[in-house]
Amino acid sequence: MVDVSVEAGETVLDVYERNGWGDGLPLEAPTPERVDAMLRALAPVNGRPVDPDEVIAVLSPRSGEATRRTIAINAVLAGCRPEHLPVLISAVRALAHPDLNLRGVNATTHPVAPLLIVHGQAAVEGGFNAGLGAFGPGNRANAAVGRALRLILLHVAGARPGPGDASTQGGPAKYGYCVAENLDESPWGGYARSVGVDAPSAITIHCGEAPHNVHDMESEEPARILDKVASAMTSTGQNNAPISQGEYFVALCPEHAAACAADGWTRDDVAAYLFNQARMRVSELKRAFGLRAWAPWMQRLSDDDLVPMTEAAANIKVVVIGGAGKHSSVIPSWGMTRSVTLPVEP
Amino acid sequence: MLIHTPEGGVGEIPAVGAASIPVLAGKKIGLLDNRKPNADIVLEHIAERLAARTGTEVVRRDNKNAAIPCEDQVLEGIAKEVEIVLTGTAD
Repeated sequence: MVDVSVEAGETVLDVYERNGWGDGLPLEAPTPERVDAMLRALAPVNGRPVDPDEVIAVLSPRSGEATRRTIAINAVLAGCRPEHLPVLISAVRALAHPDLNLRGVNATTHPVAPLLIVHGQAAVEGGFNAGLGAFGPGNRANAAVGRALRLILLHVAGARPGPGDASTQGGPAKYGYCVAENLDESPWGGYARSVGVDAPSAITIHCGEAPHNVHDMESEEPARILDKVASAMTSTGQNNAPISQGEYFVALCPEHAAACAADGWTRDDVAAYLFNQARMRVSELKRAFGLRAWAPWMQRLSDDDLVPMTEAAANIKVVVIGGAGKHSSVIPSWGMTRSVTLPVEP
Repeated sequence: MLIHTPEGGVGEIPAVGAASIPVLAGKKIGLLDNRKPNADIVLEHIAERLAARTGTEVVRRDNKNAAIPCEDQVLEGIAKEVEIVLTGTAD
């Protein structure tokens, strides 16, 4: 790893800015001592230390090799603690999963950003915020790990605005986009297990928009709450409208989730109801989009039919996030991407 | 103070552009439209001009959508049909 020198009177930000690195905000100095300390904290695998220079993933469009050391450098830059490194390493594995289509995520003009959701023990031990204000500021783990993932995209993947990221307007989620699942207040158990990842700690990456708020202060009936969720899902301004394979992440706050569960609704019931309710008239969508990447059966519908905003109920992913209050959110997809859930491993 | 650089190494580049063909006359050109809005207009204009200048034959094939890599089946088919492929994106 090539070193650069920070001279007297300079900051790390100055040096990085001069080299075209960083996200524009002040940076923690990635000294060899700090990076090595972070790498030393990684747990051994099968009794053997992990290789810091093993290539974990090759990230598009730069074809950058993400090793544990490179990931640790970016983790230090962002202000992560050593216990956050396995979460980041696992997130990088997810970024490189073919289903996620990182090449497309970075090449598109859409404002897509990878949302990192931390599940289970890693969320607790890393001090991640799953409760009040989980998507907002004030928590080191959420802020630093989300930022580190973006720094890895900027530096290793080469996703700099312009040559490596064509997003027309960009978006605040591209600075950092990391939350934890509120497992303690989920009436349906953990999200990762619901998609077949039965590990003490896991991560999910969903490449989507920033959260769209859903407000319902007064309802106890699941349908009345979820009709508002369906309303947030039903707009022609999002990529899900012309791209039927796109997923939705529905981040229910604990109180909305509890209202659904109290009436006997399961996670799958919520997704099935939204699949049925979040629909638009075919003629309206045809008027809005000349190009529609719809499932073949959807292309056959008549103009007067209602078409769902995604081609399968399984594309509607329900996870509990947040604290007290009655605000949930919908996170539409970029479209040509699938979410990836993996166990946390060093 | 010495600090690390953040980028790391570069792996194998998955694909590189083919060398250009010096003489187009007598060649067959394929247009691979990725279906991004307006890509077809740009490609059609280039193809028309090349055909007018060199007498090349032009065939057109579509990718299914703009955001994902072209299917192997389409690439294999067009590679057998033509000597040159013009592709690109637009918006």
